[in-house]
Amino acid sequence: MDHMEQFIAAAEKVGATIRACSSGEEAGRYIAEHADGTVLLPPQASLERTGLTEAISRQSASLDTFDKQQAEQAAAGVTGANFAIAETGTIVLESTDEAVRLATTLPTLHFVLLDPRKVVTDGQAAIPYLRQMHASAPRNYLAYITGPSRTADIERVLTIGVHGPKELHILLLENLSDDFLES
Amino acid sequence: MSKQRSQEYRARVLNALNTPRLQDALHRFADAYVVSRENAFAGKDFDALRQAVGEMKDEVRDHHQRYIDQFVANAQSAGATVYFAKTAQDANDYIAGLAREKGCKLAVKSKSMASEETHLNLALEKADVKTVETDLGEWIIQLAGQRPSHMVMPAIHMFRDEVAELFSKQTGQSESDDIPHLVAVARQQLRQEYLKADIGISGANIAVAETGGIALVTNEGNARLVTTLPKIHVALVGIEKLVPTLEDAQKVLDVLPRNATGQLLTSYVTWIRGAVPCGEGDKELHIVLLDNGRSALAESPHCKDALRCVKCGACANVCPIYQTVGGHVFGHIYISAIGIILTAFFHGLDKAAEIVRACIGCRACVAVCPSNIDLESIILHLREVIGEEEGIGVGKALVFKKVMRNRKLFHTLLRAGSKLQKPVTRGERTIRHLPLFFSSLTEWRALPAIADTPLRDQWKTIGQKVEKPRYKVAFFAGCLNDFVYPELGHDLVKVLNKLGCEVTLPLEQNCCGVPALYSGDRETATVLAEQNIAAMLAGDPDFVVTTCPTCTMSLQRDFVDLLRDNPVWAEKAAALSEKTIDIARLLHEKLDAGELLKGKAGPVKVTYHDSCHLKRGAGVWREPRALLAGSGREVIEMAHSDRCCGFGGSYSFTSHPDIAKRILADKLKDIEATGADCVAMDCPGCMLQIRGGLEKKPARIRAAHTIELLAEVLDD
Repeated sequence: MDHMEQFIAAAEKVGATIRACSSGEEAGRYIAEHADGTVLLPPQASLERTGLTEAISRQSASLDTFDKQQAEQAAAGVTGANFAIAETGTIVLESTDEAVRLATTLPTLHFVLLDPRKVVTDGQAAIPYLRQMHASAPRNYLAYITGPSRTADIERVLTIGVHGPKELHILLLENLSDDFLES
Repeated sequence: MSKQRSQEYRARVLNALNTPRLQDALHRFADAYVVSRENAFAGKDFDALRQAVGEMKDEVRDHHQRYIDQFVANAQSAGATVYFAKTAQDANDYIAGLAREKGCKLAVKSKSMASEETHLNLALEKADVKTVETDLGEWIIQLAGQRPSHMVMPAIHMFRDEVAELFSKQTGQSESDDIPHLVAVARQQLRQEYLKADIGISGANIAVAETGGIALVTNEGNARLVTTLPKIHVALVGIEKLVPTLEDAQKVLDVLPRNATGQLLTSYVTWIRGAVPCGEGDKELHIVLLDNGRSALAESPHCKDALRCVKCGACANVCPIYQTVGGHVFGHIYISAIGIILTAFFHGLDKAAEIVRACIGCRACVAVCPSNIDLESIILHLREVIGEEEGIGVGKALVFKKVMRNRKLFHTLLRAGSKLQKPVTRGERTIRHLPLFFSSLTEWRALPAIADTPLRDQWKTIGQKVEKPRYKVAFFAGCLNDFVYPELGHDLVKVLNKLGCEVTLPLEQNCCGVPALYSGDRETATVLAEQNIAAMLAGDPDFVVTTCPTCTMSLQRDFVDLLRDNPVWAEKAAALSEKTIDIARLLHEKLDAGELLKGKAGPVKVTYHDSCHLKRGAGVWREPRALLAGSGREVIEMAHSDRCCGFGGSYSFTSHPDIAKRILADKLKDIEATGADCVAMDCPGCMLQIRGGLEKKPARIRAAHTIELLAEVLDD
């Protein structure tokens, strides 16, 4: 099993949905089909450079905000990813920009656009990149996201979507970015 | 000993024992946990991982000022304000003061055991700050006015109907007890609190010296909201959470979720360094580093390893005592094995005094600890400390100090006991009923009678049938073997003779000292260690063999530990440790008994009970199975074969017979479910417990020591 296959298996096992997209248009369409309402779309270098921001905004009502009440009303958040960790099915996302945090914590859906080239084997292999991310800014809020929000606090019954997103959709899109420092 | 404290504790134990729903839930949880944990560690070298965590944590502990300084400097340069709180009160005062100064009215909290430790919510309440827990389990117990009964799953003791009732009160309408619905209610109710809150309070799972940042390991996503939405973030961090580098942080992440919940990773790991953007400006980040007894713990030579703990809660999950009475009884704020130790250092010895005795010493926690902490040894040490501080009780003190240290007196009294018991044994080998106030001891377990003639007095009559011995083996019989089950000695000689070994029984041997040590009387244990070392090494044997794994541990581990600093005895203790071996391992590994036993037995169905100290002390569990199967028996595995039987020496007689009885009932159920005709084991203590329990049952399942089963298939 290569890294990408392992990543997909691990992410699906924890309840993420994986979808390979052949174009930005297709990704935008997928998001529009699934998100019933406004989509939070904080600035993401890889999405802007490749026209994804534009493709998504064209198909969904999108918003870039750090207004908390406004963000709370949104149906979904869309972000890129710095990279992914195969063993655990994890997305690593630079979330220092507050708009990214609001987009990934408040709405019930989170769409992540990931370039399949950006996958490392395991947690230890992620550390050099995590260190670079620390070095690239004086303050950071860095997130490992593995599946949707979950709880088993009542009688150990696994329930998805307690405080964070109820669904995590990972859209694989080639030639998005091979830079681990951008999302 | 505080009489009132003990009485209150007894009442809590009895109350928990009368809550079968709780016990069922904890048993089911334990079964599921073992499976998911095993899957999570598939393909991983758990021992290597935990050793790495232990060594890394020791490095921080031994140089903690250096790492604290590094962390503080990095955190400050990233815009955090760092406050060092020496005590719980300091931490609370700082946080309450900050809230007051900033005019905060509402605080949202993500899960933090450190804040439970300091009773932060109470302090905030006094400062007129409303505090809302946002972790689902924490919110439930906050609404119920309780404290967590588990470090990772705080509301594991509660049920959906109770939660529905609490939530109904909260929403003012009737909420169904459907779990997804209850979770949705929590989401909806708490969402507005995050948005309104002036201050967010979190703990930290890891603090990284290299970056000055913290890491939060969570599943629900509430910690991300708590650390994002309010303008002020306060992180309350125990100083033991420090790690040197990001690679070291990953070492914790490699074990923590796997060991806590059987997850490869939690839904979220959040790395926060410094005052990150918030609204138009920056967030105000305050990191409160909490000492509150941790530095004192770092200085304790016997207990300091407890600072390696990563708070995964696994020591509770596998603990038979926790499964029987839950975390509200077996814990204070921190629960179970690690809770005993942390309570002693964070909340005082008095708060730990009862729960320190509640540990049965089965070492299940030691086997699963991801930080490589020998929890049982530390608990034993604390028991000694409490024994010294509070006394071990007049009765025990008399027995240990005046009787056991004097071998002749001790053995004379045991012999006299065999005569005195006649009225209740009616000449039989077991005591099925005891009169008057002792009756509760034989209600659930028949007790064996003290033998008419102890093994030591029969020894000369046992003919040794070996011409040119390959090995000289000295037998350390232990009290139960010598005075209760002398027949095991005959069996041992028979089997060893056939394998060309001559067996001696050094008569100067005394009790191994475990009863004294486990009761907190280190002094008596040391005296006994010296007596036994002298006795067992006298004939210069090749091996010192035992039939009792608790004796094995004592000879192999405790004697060395007790006499480590004694120049006269240290080397001898090491020599005895080296020669000591339990009978199953001796037969299987050193004497290759397989050939002799091969196919001698019929295809009888036998199930095997792993004694705690044999499997988790001596590392022996394959050997007896191989011997039994090799002899022709059909070995059937029981569920939970290595779960304690509930004997624990004085645990089942005097300190906690009611808990011991429940644990035995679990074991008997597992034995019966196999359909085996016989349960084998390698410990006279387990035999006393399991055989005694089976004798009270209608179904006749034989309980036997492995050596008994091996000897009986060999010709005389």
